[in-house]
Amino acid sequence: MTKLKLSGVSKAYGATMALRRGDLEIEAGEVHVLIGANGSGKSTLCKIVAGSVRPDHGEVLIDDTPVTVSGPRAAQALGIGIFYQELSLAEHRSVAENILMPDLPREGGVFIDRQALVEKAARVIALFSKVAGAELTAETPIGRLRADQRQLVEIMKALASEAPVLIFDEPTSALDRAQVDRFFEILRDLKSEGRSIVFISHRMDEIFAIGDRVTVIRDGETVGTAKIADTSPEKVIRMMVGEQEGLAAPQSAPPATAAAAGSVALVVAGFSGQGFSDVSFDVARGEILGFGGLHGQGQSAVLRALFGAPPALSGSVALGGAALRTTSPRGAIASGLAYVSGDRGRDGVISGRPILENVTPIHALRNRLWLARPGQLAQKALPALKALNTKFAGLSHSIGSLSGGNQQKVVIARWLIDRPDVLLLDDPTKGIDLSAKADLFALIRKLAEDGLAIILYSSEDAELLNNADRILVFNGGSVSRELGGADRTRYNLYHAAYEAA
Amino acid sequence: MANASPVTMGNQSRFGALLGRFPFLPALIILIVLLVLNGLFEPNSLSFRSLTGLVRTYMALMLLAVAQTYVVYAADIDLSVGAIASLVNVTIIVLMQHLGGGGLSVMAALGVGVLVGLACGLVNGLVVAALRLQAIVATFATSIFFTGLALTILPVAGMPAPAAFWRTYGGSFLGIPFVFYCAAGLAILLYLLARSRLATQLLAVGDGQQAAFQSGLPVTAIRIGGYALCGVFAALAAFCITGDTASGDPLVGAKMTLFSVAAVVLGGSALSGGFGTVVGSVIAALIIGLINALVFFAGTPSHWQNFVQGLAILAALMVGILVSRRGRR
Amino acid sequence: MSRVIDVIKNPLAVALALIVALLLLGNALSPGFASGQQILRLLIVAALLGIVAAGQNLVILGGREGIDLSVGGVVSLSAIVAGNAMNGMDGGIPLAILACIATGALFGLLNGLGVTLLRIPPLVMTLGMLGVLQGLLVVVRQGIPSGRAAPALSEFVTRPFLFGLPGILWLWVAIGLLMAFILSRTVFGHRIYAIGSNEQAAFMAGVPVRRMRVLLFMLSGVFSAIAGLCLLGYSGSSFANVGEQYMLPSIIAVVLGGTPLAGGKGGYTGTMAGAVLLVILQSILTTINIEESGRQMVFGATLLVLMLFYGRGRGLRA
Repeated sequence: MTKLKLSGVSKAYGATMALRRGDLEIEAGEVHVLIGANGSGKSTLCKIVAGSVRPDHGEVLIDDTPVTVSGPRAAQALGIGIFYQELSLAEHRSVAENILMPDLPREGGVFIDRQALVEKAARVIALFSKVAGAELTAETPIGRLRADQRQLVEIMKALASEAPVLIFDEPTSALDRAQVDRFFEILRDLKSEGRSIVFISHRMDEIFAIGDRVTVIRDGETVGTAKIADTSPEKVIRMMVGEQEGLAAPQSAPPATAAAAGSVALVVAGFSGQGFSDVSFDVARGEILGFGGLHGQGQSAVLRALFGAPPALSGSVALGGAALRTTSPRGAIASGLAYVSGDRGRDGVISGRPILENVTPIHALRNRLWLARPGQLAQKALPALKALNTKFAGLSHSIGSLSGGNQQKVVIARWLIDRPDVLLLDDPTKGIDLSAKADLFALIRKLAEDGLAIILYSSEDAELLNNADRILVFNGGSVSRELGGADRTRYNLYHAAYEAA
Repeated sequence: MANASPVTMGNQSRFGALLGRFPFLPALIILIVLLVLNGLFEPNSLSFRSLTGLVRTYMALMLLAVAQTYVVYAADIDLSVGAIASLVNVTIIVLMQHLGGGGLSVMAALGVGVLVGLACGLVNGLVVAALRLQAIVATFATSIFFTGLALTILPVAGMPAPAAFWRTYGGSFLGIPFVFYCAAGLAILLYLLARSRLATQLLAVGDGQQAAFQSGLPVTAIRIGGYALCGVFAALAAFCITGDTASGDPLVGAKMTLFSVAAVVLGGSALSGGFGTVVGSVIAALIIGLINALVFFAGTPSHWQNFVQGLAILAALMVGILVSRRGRR
Repeated sequence: MSRVIDVIKNPLAVALALIVALLLLGNALSPGFASGQQILRLLIVAALLGIVAAGQNLVILGGREGIDLSVGGVVSLSAIVAGNAMNGMDGGIPLAILACIATGALFGLLNGLGVTLLRIPPLVMTLGMLGVLQGLLVVVRQGIPSGRAAPALSEFVTRPFLFGLPGILWLWVAIGLLMAFILSRTVFGHRIYAIGSNEQAAFMAGVPVRRMRVLLFMLSGVFSAIAGLCLLGYSGSSFANVGEQYMLPSIIAVVLGGTPLAGGKGGYTGTMAGAVLLVILQSILTTINIEESGRQMVFGATLLVLMLFYGRGRGLRA
């Protein structure tokens, strides 16, 4: 029996299509996996079901009856509970208050029934008692918990809703093995009670361990649904990447390694800081060094530390033979470093401002400009934007009018006016469309040919395998393996990434 | 990382935990230091009589600070609390006058006063939460409106309060000054409110509006509730002002608005919302009172007093913010 | 159709339309309201507010809850400082100007350092500073006689100077042009918007965020000080707390001009219109024959309605 059904749901934010056509059917008593690349629209789909995003088009049916989910409260009344990827916790409130925040137990109408609050919460907390850690008690404020514990609290909050339909949007990204195992036990119990569960994860092993069926979303559209028993990780990946097969399959011939013989540009030794320790490597001019491994193993942290945001705690860095100490991005830029973040909304885009102002800050800084003459700046900006095939109507238009991929191109273009020596790319293609990715990698290879030293971290293995000359695989904050030459295969990458996890 | 060493967490986190439970701790310490200093400069200032006077004078600011705290809980602000207090002050004065000034008329006037405060709070809530105007400028606009209303009711300051009213406020009952009954009543009220769903929900909204909304909280209604609560406490503050000054003045509260904001911050609440206590605000209102008293007792030349007060309050604000931030690390 | 909506959504267009409408309304209610002489007087008052609002505008544009509640205190203090520096003599004007700017910059610097180094929220820092300034005013007033404006300064503010307009209006126009130039044609201006709209991205692009913010507070102090100087010229001598009336109106002028308190967008042209609008509105209310109480109520209610045009925030549901 179909418990929850979505058909033709879509949502656009300005020029960006977050979800083109979302279709989903969930049965009672199943764990339904939703999978797709970053930015493919999974979270938007979930938020529409949970009422926190208003869809532009499409229909939601519960028990075959069309319903209007007018908001999170309405969703709760309809029996939908959700785990938000970005968490929905109040930092200064206690664990118990957070777990029951959607419906705080009442006493006399206006007061909180403290006893019921603690008792109810304790029951949910007890589900994870063996794996949650001693600090996670009903009274602990969220602010004092670790990332994995916060994630557990968000899980508990969803569980406490006792809703027939439960949505978990990447609930396991910070959890350790034991916590995931416990969570899966609980999910299986819920399933046997006949509840419907939507589960999102990027970890293939988890998907095959817990899922009954899987639905794949690509570029905002539902591609298809399959029974887990009838499919394989390879088939799922193929559905995820679609026609882009060529890009996804590891190439047998190594990419432009010819240039890799250039002189050493950047030498990093014994680099330690928040989230990584004792990392050493070097990059040559003209080389693309890949950072690989599971998400959040210190790759980003190393790149950001090189850029001085925040600086590393110890270790040495040498650029072109001279010792380099970066204490801030400002200093790093002056020394010839460039950094592109995958989180463009946070680190890159100066929202609401014209494209021109988004392209020129680095140029202005490196040339110590005082005046911003639009004509002169445009002359500098246009070639940089053109090098990336950026599509835009005019330099004076707001950057918000562009699609995600073009916004990221604008952010990257700011580094192309005055060439840096080292380009740090921190998962630069997160959430951008395929053609933009292709443009970006064509440029990156060209920049390497021109003699830039490039470090590329990517959460998508295909990008690394296709573009990097060498790959350092990160695990738990340090480099666990280096793959070069013919060793750069998908198998080796997976193997190295998962081995100690 | 997950292996956060227990060594470095030790002291810092114990202090932090203590501050987490009692965010008003820095304010309390400042209060005690000020009391001691006051005692040193003028031993008489710690007498029962002087302290009663202090509480009587600053009860209104305490209540206004409490009023402000509830909106700050939800990361809002109300720059009209002073104007609401003025409006309620003239409303009850005029009503008591009209109704004859007897005990019953006083009670009736107070009832109406609370309703007026509540209505003003609801207006603020609607304007800020429902119409989504920016709180600082919107409540400033409503404060002009409320002041206009107050001027309509009583164009010039001076109408006296009935003797029954201010004699009670300034008098004693069973040997205990009346203001201490007020203080006890306030304590009970604050205790009850701290246990209310609304207080917790306001703090949750202050911690993150989006998260609160996604959790299914009726964010707009909760914020309106905060403003309503604020209006009621501003009305209670007006009662104390009326008791203290024994007259009506359509502009009496204007100067107190910014002090109420200062008191909230001084009391350890974060203007960014989600964190704070009403107890801290009450203590902070007393701190402001004690600073003023201390500057006087310390023999500061009269024209330097305002400056020294200003400096001391600024310093206290800085210390309060820095200490509570360190604790929260 | 969408063009029409664009115009309605443009705060500057709305403010200008309202200014014209209010002038017509004022003239209908009291003939002569929109006469040249009267409009000139209004503009002088608006210029004083507008100059204060220029600094307020910069601080607000810089984001991170930027706001300067101490402007009124600086206005008052600088009026006294200027009065004493010139003491009725034209020869003292250069010294007065220097002293004023130094005063404004000093208090702006203190505000900026408190906000950036100690990370005190701007509202709290500048509120505390306002208390200090108000105290300082009392001290200064006791210690020294309140000075008088030099004749040349008074003339600059009140007498026609060029094309029938007094110097202060030319000064305001110059400030307006300067602000427009800074905000749109200098790297500094671009950086103000950058830190206001996305501080983290600005930081990653090498913008010296803290130094910028300190500078913005200093500029706010300087603008307030200049306004204080002009105010002295306007009233002839400084009197108690003349600047107090500028604190919240300067913020309102900024908001009515289309710069949200969250910062990062807007500009000074709108703020100038906002200042004029505010002054005309007050003036109309003084002109029409109603009680002070009714005037205040209408003023408050009108402000709320005006804010409904643009000051609104986003809904929670995306």
